[in-house]
Amino acid sequence: MTLHRAEKVIIITEKLISKGVCDIIEACGATGYTIVPAGGKGNRNIRPTSSRASVIDDFANVKIEVIVNGKEIAEKIMNEVADQFFQNYPGITYVEDVEILRPKKF
Amino acid sequence: MDFLIDFLMRLLVQFQSPTLGFLIGGMLLAALGSKLQIPSAIYQFVVFMLLMKIGIQGGMEIRDANLTDMFLPAIISVLIGVVIVLAGILFFSWLPGIRKEDGIATAGLFGAVSASTLAAAIVVLEEETITFEAWVPALYPFMDIPALILAVVLANIYQKKKKEGGNAKVNVWGIVKDSLQGSALSALILGLALGFVTQPERIFESFYDPLFRGFLSILLLIMGMEAYTRLSELRSVAHWYAIYAFFAPILHGLMAFGLGYVAHELVGFSPGGVILLAILASSNSDISGPPTLRGGIPTANPSAYIGASTSVGTPVAIAICIPLYIALGQIVFNL
Repeated sequence: MTLHRAEKVIIITEKLISKGVCDIIEACGATGYTIVPAGGKGNRNIRPTSSRASVIDDFANVKIEVIVNGKEIAEKIMNEVADQFFQNYPGITYVEDVEILRPKKF
Repeated sequence: MDFLIDFLMRLLVQFQSPTLGFLIGGMLLAALGSKLQIPSAIYQFVVFMLLMKIGIQGGMEIRDANLTDMFLPAIISVLIGVVIVLAGILFFSWLPGIRKEDGIATAGLFGAVSASTLAAAIVVLEEETITFEAWVPALYPFMDIPALILAVVLANIYQKKKKEGGNAKVNVWGIVKDSLQGSALSALILGLALGFVTQPERIFESFYDPLFRGFLSILLLIMGMEAYTRLSELRSVAHWYAIYAFFAPILHGLMAFGLGYVAHELVGFSPGGVILLAILASSNSDISGPPTLRGGIPTANPSAYIGASTSVGTPVAIAICIPLYIALGQIVFNL
């Protein structure tokens, strides 16, 4: 089995701005992304992971993962997301090296 | 003196309402660290049920109503929403240590309207057999949307002044769309349309109406738990927000009661309608307003405005303003 190197960008932020983040991801040329609900503790607040009702659903956290081919696209996504949102909204972003099976998909 | 004793007695009776009990119960549970969890999905469904019931009932009764009567109260509602926001901004601009954006966002949230408070008020009015025009709940968007738009526009003008060339373009249509697409308003409007166009009497009588009170008690329990949880956030910001959140709903309601009374004299706006208008004005948005403001005024600190509204404003509107304005209405209109 041959595996290929690729980059995975991870963005953890508020659900409220997830649409804006995904627009950036697509504009940068990525072909898809995965969004999962997230929770934990950051410098702003503790966000519960539980399913307990939170009155404002939009302020829950999500983790957005996107796999791209090449460091440039990865950095471009991270820069644009940070520029556009992270001054006013909570969020972190980091990149990981991953190995993928079918490079054509990305 | 008799007036005052009468007033206090009526207030005391209102305090025993189960609606209020569930709100306080929720706060107590959260304060004692209870592990009771009400899932998000149930909360969202409850909000839908309540607004749907209010909407359908309004829609069915609007069929036979004279909608021109609604004209003056609707204008008054817009006026109240705008005045609340301007007064709030003025209040916060006098105080030290308040960031301008935070003050504007808080005022915007208090100008907007709460679905949970509206539902609670309708139940209490029904228990007291105080009637109001069917279209009164439909005044909700007339107060809610102008307040949110005004707050976002003013905050953006302020930011543009502060640093020339910032992103000062305000998408007014975006805010209107955001508000109408919110879970509370879209259910209310769909309900109004269904009640008006279709014949939903049977489903209304067998499903929405009987479940209304029960679901409201669950919603208030959730609101109580949320209020307590958000208190810690409110503690981290200036105390002025808590003080504003306590007194502003009462003053806003009084202003609306006065304007409603004018409409009562001029066009025969019903006493129940005046009371409900006062409660709408005293309420502050807790479900759909915060995301709109967060999107529209990103530089404002949400701990300030959401803490003020959810932890103090909404409990005050439900626990103090509903009994207060019903008691006031009963005395003013001799109900």
